[in-house]
This record gives sequence, C-alpha cells and structure tokens, in this order.
Amino acid sequence: MSLLQLLINGVALGAAYALVALGFVFIVNATGAVNFAHGDLVMAGGYAAVGLGALAPVPILLLLPLVAVIMFVLGLALALLAYFPLINRPPSTVFISTLLCGIILQNAFVVLFGPQARAAPPLIVSGAWHLGQIEISVQAIGTMVVAAVLIALQYMVFARTQIGRRLRATAEDRQMAQAIGIPAYALIAATFGLGTALAGIAGALLANQFFVYPTGGIPLSVFAYIAVVIGGWGSIAGAVIGAMMISLFQVVVSAYVSYAVATGLLYATLLLIFVVRPRGIFGERVQRRA
Amino acid sequence: MSRKEISVLASWLLAGIRLPLALGAVALAGYAIFFAGPFDLRILTICGIYTLLVLGFQFVFGHAGAVSLAQATFFGIGGYVTGILATKFGVGFLVTFPLSIAVPVLLAVIVAVPVLKLEDHYFSLATLGIGLVVLLFAIQWSDVTGGTNGLPGIPSIDIAGFVIADRRSMLWFVWAVVVIGCLISFQVTRGLYGHAFHLMREDRAAASALGLNIAHLRFAAFILSAAYAGAAGALMAHVIHVVSPENLDLSLMVMCLTMTVIGGRTRIAGAILGAILIVYLREWFRVLENYYMIAYGSAALIVLILAPYGLIGAVERLRRMVFGSSVEKPPSALVRARPAAGSARAEPLLSVHDVTLAFGGVRALDGAGLSLREGEIVGLIGPNGSGKTTLLNVISGLYLCDHGQVDFMGRDITRAPAHEIARLGVARTFQHIHLVDDLSALDNIAMARAAFDGGGLLQAITTLGPDHALETARRLAMTAADRVGITGAVMEPCGGLPYGTRRRVEIARALAMEPKLLLLDEPAAGLNEQEQLDLADRIRSFAADGITVMVVEHNLVFLSALVERLICLERGKVIASGLPDAVRREPAVIEAYLGLGNALPLTAVTS
Repeated sequence: MSLLQLLINGVALGAAYALVALGFVFIVNATGAVNFAHGDLVMAGGYAAVGLGALAPVPILLLLPLVAVIMFVLGLALALLAYFPLINRPPSTVFISTLLCGIILQNAFVVLFGPQARAAPPLIVSGAWHLGQIEISVQAIGTMVVAAVLIALQYMVFARTQIGRRLRATAEDRQMAQAIGIPAYALIAATFGLGTALAGIAGALLANQFFVYPTGGIPLSVFAYIAVVIGGWGSIAGAVIGAMMISLFQVVVSAYVSYAVATGLLYATLLLIFVVRPRGIFGERVQRRA
Repeated sequence: MSRKEISVLASWLLAGIRLPLALGAVALAGYAIFFAGPFDLRILTICGIYTLLVLGFQFVFGHAGAVSLAQATFFGIGGYVTGILATKFGVGFLVTFPLSIAVPVLLAVIVAVPVLKLEDHYFSLATLGIGLVVLLFAIQWSDVTGGTNGLPGIPSIDIAGFVIADRRSMLWFVWAVVVIGCLISFQVTRGLYGHAFHLMREDRAAASALGLNIAHLRFAAFILSAAYAGAAGALMAHVIHVVSPENLDLSLMVMCLTMTVIGGRTRIAGAILGAILIVYLREWFRVLENYYMIAYGSAALIVLILAPYGLIGAVERLRRMVFGSSVEKPPSALVRARPAAGSARAEPLLSVHDVTLAFGGVRALDGAGLSLREGEIVGLIGPNGSGKTTLLNVISGLYLCDHGQVDFMGRDITRAPAHEIARLGVARTFQHIHLVDDLSALDNIAMARAAFDGGGLLQAITTLGPDHALETARRLAMTAADRVGITGAVMEPCGGLPYGTRRRVEIARALAMEPKLLLLDEPAAGLNEQEQLDLADRIRSFAADGITVMVVEHNLVFLSALVERLICLERGKVIASGLPDAVRREPAVIEAYLGLGNALPLTAVTS
C-alpha cells in the first residue's frame, strides 16, 4: 500500500478518534476528571446504530440525530450516577466510578447484543471511490465530513456563544461560576450529555468499518486518554491533534510491522514522552499554582 | 505475660472495631478448619492471595493516594517468573518465590524514576501504559511465556523437598504469608513514618513544607506494592498451576481496585474483607451468568458513593455514631531544650538577592531582595498581588525562581527542593490553611516531627513494641500547642475547629519543627483585636527563643507593634525597608497603597 493511501486511511480513522477525544476532553474540562467509561459510551453509540439500523433500514446519516439524543440522555444518566454523588471527592474517585460504569456498560452489551462483533449499516452507502491507485471508501469520506462539521460546530459554540463562555467559566472555576449566577450543575450535566453524544456519533461512524463488540471500548478510552495527554490536558484543539497523531501512528506502523507492535510502540512512546515532558508534549492549558 | 501487659492488650483490643473484627477472623478460621469442603478450601486460598494483592495496592492507592493501574501487572510478572523458572528450569520455591518478588520490584524501581513524579491522571495513564506493554509482551513472546495459552504445568510449592500438595496445607501456607504481609503493613503504617503518608496524600505543599520527601514516600509505597503483588502472583501460579495473560490484564486490575474500594483503602481489615467479599460474590452471583458483572459493578459503585472509606470505614463510622467517639486524653507536654544558640553571626540568616519569577506574562517577583538578621522579627507588607506570598513560596522552595539567589545560613538554597529547605530549619504557615481536616489538631502538629524523627521504611518495619517516635512527637506537639494557646482543642479533628484556632494549629505545627526561621503568612487574618495582641505576644516569645520571624500581613497596626523592621513590596520589588514608622511615611509606600497624590500617613487610614 502506498504511503499516501496509508495517510488517507490514517486521517479517516483519526477523524473518528478525534470525535472520541473531543467528547472526552469536554468532560475533562467540565469536571477535571477522567471519564474512563468514555470508550464504552462510544461502543454504546455503535450499538445504538446497530439496533436502530435493524429497526429502520435507512442510511445511518438519517439516524445520527436520534443516536445523539439517546446518547445525550445516557450521558446525563452517567453524570447523575457517577459524577454528581462524588462531586466533592478527589478526581480519582470519579475515575474509579466511571471505570465501574464502563464495566456495567460492557456487560449490558453482552446481555443485550451478545458477545460477538456487530456491524452497523453504512453512513450513506457502501462502496469506494478510486483516484488512480488511491481508494477512499464513502464511509471514510462521510466520517471525515461529519467529524469536521462537528468539530467546527463545537468550536463556534465555545468561542462565540454565551453558553460556550459559561461552559468555559464553569470548567475554569465551578464555585466562582456559581457565585456569578451561572447554573454550573446544569451546565456540567449538559457537558456530560454533549460529550457522550459526540462519543455516540463517533461510535455510529466506527461501527460500520470496525465493528462493535462489548470490550471494544477499552482501547478507545485509552486512546482518548493518550490523545488528551499528548495534546495538552484540557485543550480541545490539542485533543483533536493528539487523536490524529495516534491514528496515523497506528495505521502506518501496523502496515509496516503489525498491529500489536504498533500498539506496544504507542504506549512505549507515551512513556518516553512522560520522561521528557511530565505534562504532555504541549503542557497543560492552565498552569497550576500552589 | 504480666497483668499490666494483659490489660494493655485488652484495652487495645476493645478500642475501635477491633473486637468484632477479631471475632469475625476467629469465625472464619473456625469455618475453614471444621466445615470447609475442598471447593471452599480453594476459594479461601484464593481470597488469601487477593488479600495480599490488595494489601500491596493499599500502599500506593490508599496511603500514597496515587491511582496506579500497574498492580495487576506486577502480580502477573510474579506469576510468570515463578511459571518460567519452575517449568523451564525446574527450580524450587525457595528460589522462585524471592525472584518472583524481586523482578516486579526491579521493574518498579526502573519505571519509578519517570513515573512517580507524574501527577494524578498522568500517573494513572503511565502505569496503564506499562501494564499494556507488559501484556503485549506476555502475548507476543510466546516462546517464553506460552502466548495467549500461557504456561501450564506449574508444580505445587516445593520447599527443599517438602511439597505442599493438598488444598488444606496450601490454604494454611497462603494465609501464613498473608499474616506476614499484614504485620509488615501494620508496622509501616502505625507509627510516625506511616502518619506522614496521610499528610502527603492530602496536601503535598504542606508535606514538603514540613520537610517530608514526597518522592521517597511515593517510591516506598510503589516498591512495597510491587513486592506484595509479586508474592501474590507467585502463590497464585502455584495454586492454579498455570499462568496466562489473564493474570495481568485490565479486568484483574479492576477487580483489585474494586476490592480495595469496597473493603477500605487504608485498613488491613479492609483488604481482607474486600478480597473475601468479592471472591465469594463472584461465586454466589455465578447463577446470574452475564448479569453477574453488572450486579458486581453496581454493588461496587454503590459502596463507592455511600462509603467513601469502604465498608470497614462505614463500620467504624457506625460505631462512632452508636457509642460516640472515645476522646483520648491528651499526652503530657514534653519540653526539649533548644540547642544553645551560638553567638549571633555577623552575616544575615537569610538573604534574598534579585529574585525574579514570572507566571506567563505576569512578573510576580521582579528583582526582589531582602535580608534577615538572626533573631529579628520582620514584617513584609505590600498591596494585594505585590508578590508577598510568592516570595515566601520561593524562599521555602515551593516555587523555583527564574533568576536570583536565596541564601540561608550561608548556604545557597535557590534550587533546593522544599523538603530540604524545611529540614535546614525554615518553617512556614500558609495564607490558605493547609491542615488535614479529619486528623486531630495534635496529630496535625505532631506531623511536623515526621521528617526529623520518623525514620525510614526499614526502621518502621523493624520497630518492635510501641512507637516511641510517635509518642515523643505527640508530646512535643503538646508543647507547641501550649505555646500558641490551643491546648483545650488539641484532641478535636481540625475540620471542626474555628478559623482562628486552625490558624494557630498551623503556627504550632511550624513551631514544632524547631525551626531557625519562621515565615508566617497572614497569621492575624480573621482575629479580633484582643486575639491579635495575644498573638503578637506569642510571636515575640518565639523570637526570644532565637527564632527569626518574618510576618506577611496587611494589618499595619498589628505589625507596627510587633516588628523591628518593615519591608514593603510593590509589583515584585522591594520599595522600602526600615523602621516601621519610617516605612509607613515613605512616599513610595503611601503611593503603592493609596494611589498617587495622597499624602496622608498610613496610620490615618489603617488604624
């Protein structure tokens, strides 16, 4: 396979990863905590697409809004169960509670859909376009377009709208935000909902090419975690860049060596990054003060 | 045993929830001896192994407060070392067991350097990464590890020809190792050394300012966790006779985490309870098939939400609710003679020279300089944001300055870490109170001795009988409490004390370090006039003992009556220094406080 083809595949996968990381960093920003159920929520989105696709045989593109709504509600439930009861505890507690929610989700998938891998219908149609030697599947193009639209949309919301400013204020300092009349709890809940909806859309996009299976979310949680760490903790643009770097790394190394080596090298590289830069390549968005 | 020893033992047993725990342990042992069938014997053996795993995890997760995700990895490595040595080289237990502990410890030592300095989520991710790399090795390196199938045929324990083959003997052997593990854990955590972990995980800034080397404590916890995990992994390999990638994957890690959260993260009984409960729940819930893991996850989540300190913590709280908390009697004060102050040196005790520190674009300190003579009381004033607290942080080593130099007793401490500076004799209090809320005021103060008298890990493990270091620390703390006038409140948890008392607890804690230089950050904030006068008297008495004091304050009336010299900071620079009255009349100082063109002397405004 030519390098150009690999890069295209990498970017297509990276677009889906970017959506995963984007939802993850939303929740990091709202709560300062790692949501380790995030990958499982991606799988939940994939399963939602599988289930809805079985009920209504239409392209997934038409079902995406419905997937997003279902996932938004699931995100609210997650916030109520795993975040709000622990709001005054150290962030590591939320890490553990979301980890446990992830376990519950994984086994709920087994009960509802069985242990085998499932595939969702394509975004629009299956098939591919050919440009000389290069082949791009319609699904890959659709994934990139949907990801680009959603990333641009969230950028607009955060940078330009009042609600985006309020979300940022809440992330920065919850108590201060409350003191100036921002409904911080409602916004945190909304952030969980939005982050989960993004995870769900990513899952619905991935579920056609890469299948969904009950434990498939674990590596995605780890990838999102790594993407946010290398992109700079809390940085939204950094998360997208980090996700792209991971997918390109994976696709290129897997093609030349093997997937196992690619994954091993990814973690090893991460550890090396930590040796040199204990707070990720780009540092933290906000400098901590004693 | 003498009558006195028996009564001491009896009162120890009756304190807290030890009696029901002891009864529970006896009941469990009785069940294992008289009623357990072969299946139960196996299950209880596995409970013992997981207890060992969790005991180790408690060091790093419970005591050091770091969510390590490498505990299962160390467990798996211990198992593989035993498996490889026993099946490929036919080596006996006396060789495989120590090596199964040594290899995970070695890995922990190697990764500790980069990993342990990471904070919170970076640490978790890094340990997760290590675990996943090791897992890939276990799967891919199949010539040695047997790949996904693992290594079967691991023999039973063979100690120089004496083979432990039957299930009952194995049960006793494993639980004997667990008892040793419990004893070591108890030794490490019970004394002054172990108390340091509590402060370190709650409040790193305060711990460093008290001279505690956080890196050392975290290292000790990490190494111990690896050693326990390796031992547990080796025993597991002998019990189930096979080692496979399942021994080090994430689901085992999640189980270990769940056991610790459910049982209790710092209590030995919590490790035992958590392990037994989860292993038995798994057996009981097996009828639920796929729903089992959902029930298990939900149960753990409920405990996490409702019982922050695990089930053991919940039982302890229940006991306090029913029987009330037994208020211990405060210990008698111990006054230790200060080393005779040498003749006052000519050179300054502390000199700060041209210190600069910028946060992003803000220059918090911009060429600040000052010097303190031994035994004097100096006030540091300046408008909000002028860099007073930043300067204290640079002196005490919590911040590293960009340029400049700080000398203490003729030694360059500019780049020295906070704990070393504290050990040289620089004590401080914080503008925002840094105390451990759930510990008594006395124990908060006693923590000041941990860095000096706490000893090391090995000393903690080998101390037999009562820990005299802790006793002495608490008696010295009593003296310090007396000197700030809070003896009546010392046995109460700090969280419930009034603001002014909490400030005094901090001062007493700094004093208990027996420092040469005491840096007080707004000690009079929130005190009424009478309390301020009282505090000023007490600070004077510290100086009379030869302690040099620098007080950061806004309250000029309080300061003017107390200090010999005032130093005024403005925008990170010293703009005036000298006798209080002179500094207060200095036009630059008035301008800094009141803005341009205001010629009123400061007394008119602040008094």
